[in-house]
Amino acid sequence: MSITIQNLNKQFGNFTALNNINLEVNSGELLALLGPSGCGKTSLLRIIGGLDVQNSGKILFHGTDVEQRDARERNVGFVFQHYALFRHMTVFENVAFGLRVKPKKERHTETEIKRRVHELLQLVQLDWLADRYPAQLSGGQRQRIALARALAVEPQILLLDEPFGALDTKVRKELRRWLRRLHDELHITSVFVTHDQEEALEVADRIVVMNKGNIEQVGSPDDVYANPTSPFVYQFIGNVNLFHSRTHALWTQQPGDAVAYVRPHDIDISLIPQQSSLPAVVKQVRAIGSVVRLEAAIGQDGEVVEIELSRERFNITPVAVNDEIFIWPRQIKVFEA
Amino acid sequence: MSSSHQLINNRKIATHESKAVTLVLITVALFYLLLFLGIPLFAVFYEALGKGWALYWAALQDPDAWSAIELTLIAAAIAVPANLVFGVAAAWAIAKFEFRGKSVLITLIDLPFAVSPVVSGLIYVLLFGAQGWFGPWLQEHDIKLIFAVPGIVLVTIFVTFPFIARELIPLMQAQGKEEEEAAISLGASGWQTFWRVTVPNIKWGLLYGVILCNARAMGEFGAVSVVSGHIRGMTNTIPLHVEILYNEYNFVAAFSVASLLALLALVTLLAKSIVEFKVMNNGSRLPHGETE
Ligand SMILES: Nc1ncnc2c1ncn2[C@@H]1O[C@H](COP(=O)(O)OP(=O)(O)OP(=O)(O)O)[C@@H](O)[C@H]1O
Ligand SMILES: [Mg+2]
Repeated sequence: MSITIQNLNKQFGNFTALNNINLEVNSGELLALLGPSGCGKTSLLRIIGGLDVQNSGKILFHGTDVEQRDARERNVGFVFQHYALFRHMTVFENVAFGLRVKPKKERHTETEIKRRVHELLQLVQLDWLADRYPAQLSGGQRQRIALARALAVEPQILLLDEPFGALDTKVRKELRRWLRRLHDELHITSVFVTHDQEEALEVADRIVVMNKGNIEQVGSPDDVYANPTSPFVYQFIGNVNLFHSRTHALWTQQPGDAVAYVRPHDIDISLIPQQSSLPAVVKQVRAIGSVVRLEAAIGQDGEVVEIELSRERFNITPVAVNDEIFIWPRQIKVFEA
Repeated sequence: MSSSHQLINNRKIATHESKAVTLVLITVALFYLLLFLGIPLFAVFYEALGKGWALYWAALQDPDAWSAIELTLIAAAIAVPANLVFGVAAAWAIAKFEFRGKSVLITLIDLPFAVSPVVSGLIYVLLFGAQGWFGPWLQEHDIKLIFAVPGIVLVTIFVTFPFIARELIPLMQAQGKEEEEAAISLGASGWQTFWRVTVPNIKWGLLYGVILCNARAMGEFGAVSVVSGHIRGMTNTIPLHVEILYNEYNFVAAFSVASLLALLALVTLLAKSIVEFKVMNNGSRLPHGETE
């Protein structure tokens, strides 16, 4: 089921939380909403799910306007940032909830409910926790139960608000791979919110980068990472060095005020001057796993540039602190300042 | 090194001092409790039973005493459910929705706590009494509120309506509305969400509020006294009946009937402790913040 969002606006008092959002979520895709805190990700997700109402604009599911359908009728699975499990129910009852509140005509028999719930618990690999209460689960387990609960009603759309936000790095990584596999099995159109770029890059089919209620860029992870269309996206996704035209006109190569954006791994070094290279002094050398990170100072005011080299590349030109080197960009993107 | 040594030393001194302070504080508190609560409570039962069980029973079986008990039960039986519904509705609205005039509503809920009960009673007389605003209209339609049972019920509701709402508001605010939203998005109706998600989450706080509300409803004196008219066997509640008996120097009877209220207090305390204990063991939030 595809989702179409047209000219969507949301205000809280005088504050604009969402500013003219237009977005198409393809059927069966896993889309990430990525952006800094307060940029409107949760607001957008809640409006899609029918938990909040927009001030203007339209939401279409599979081409049909859903304005008249409230959260109850949208058949959307919602996974909340803080899980929102029913604290007075066991894990089993939590997952069974959506099945039990169905109208009498559609309701399954008790045996059928039991079978379905256990099937879902197996899907999230937590069948053995059926009798526990939410308070007795770890964060990662709660997250998976919340997901199983949302899936119980066989939603056609799954909305996840920072599903792994409250978990430690290792569990996050495990769970997001697991989510990706699960999505590939079920093929539910899914939108998940995150402020972690790594998570978005790793898991999503497409990424929507948001900033202050606006969509900055939409694209595949590769695309967004390699070809940011705005300074904001450049800075928000991945590390980046900034070179202002006032001090480094050599690199910006543009008349007027401009800023050049260069990723640390797009900078190369050498011990002798190259074409359009800048002299620099190595300030720090750090080997981190398979890469070596350098910090080098350029210009009079000692502006620091981050450089990332593969270990092999570093071994060809091994440098040490206080060495004088020359740096130049392999790839550069210039925006007007 | 020396600083950490000092720290340990300091702490020792601190605990040493605080132990003595704790002891003094506990003693003072216990003494105070004994003086102002324990002794009077004992006195009630001592006076009531001082002349033997026979007189005690006789006092309780007096028809006027019975009618006072009956009226008290009726007033509580109406006031408590009414305030239960009102309290849940008000707390629900305040905790889960944003609307204009919310702070006004919160302030209004506290009004009965802020106003002296006697004044509350007078307000009702002013509104519904024979000389009151609605007095002529009521008389025309032959409705008697003041100096009659309905008036007593009304002021009882007024005086006790903050108890349940006040207990639930912080509880529901702390719980937020995510669970309800989850229920709705899973397809539950508002009614199902209320009964399956909201009520189980607040049930102990609710019970706690009901217990306190009930105790006050049965024990209220000031407001009821103003609107009752003290008609023996008709518009006397237990507290009013006690006063009448006492003023007639009928001490044994007065204390016998008063002992019922004292018993109610003890039962209330017990029930309250049980609820608190349950809540603690349940691991859910304590309904704290006594409102008076
Ligand atoms: N009910 C509300 N009333 C007023 N302002 C609100 C309300 N909900 C959200 N906002 C504001 O709208 C903006 C967007 O909020 P939103 O929750 O969508 O951000 P977010 O992108 O999900 O942030 P985070 O990553 O911190 O969760 C914020 O500035 C927030 O303060
Ligand atoms: Mg959010």
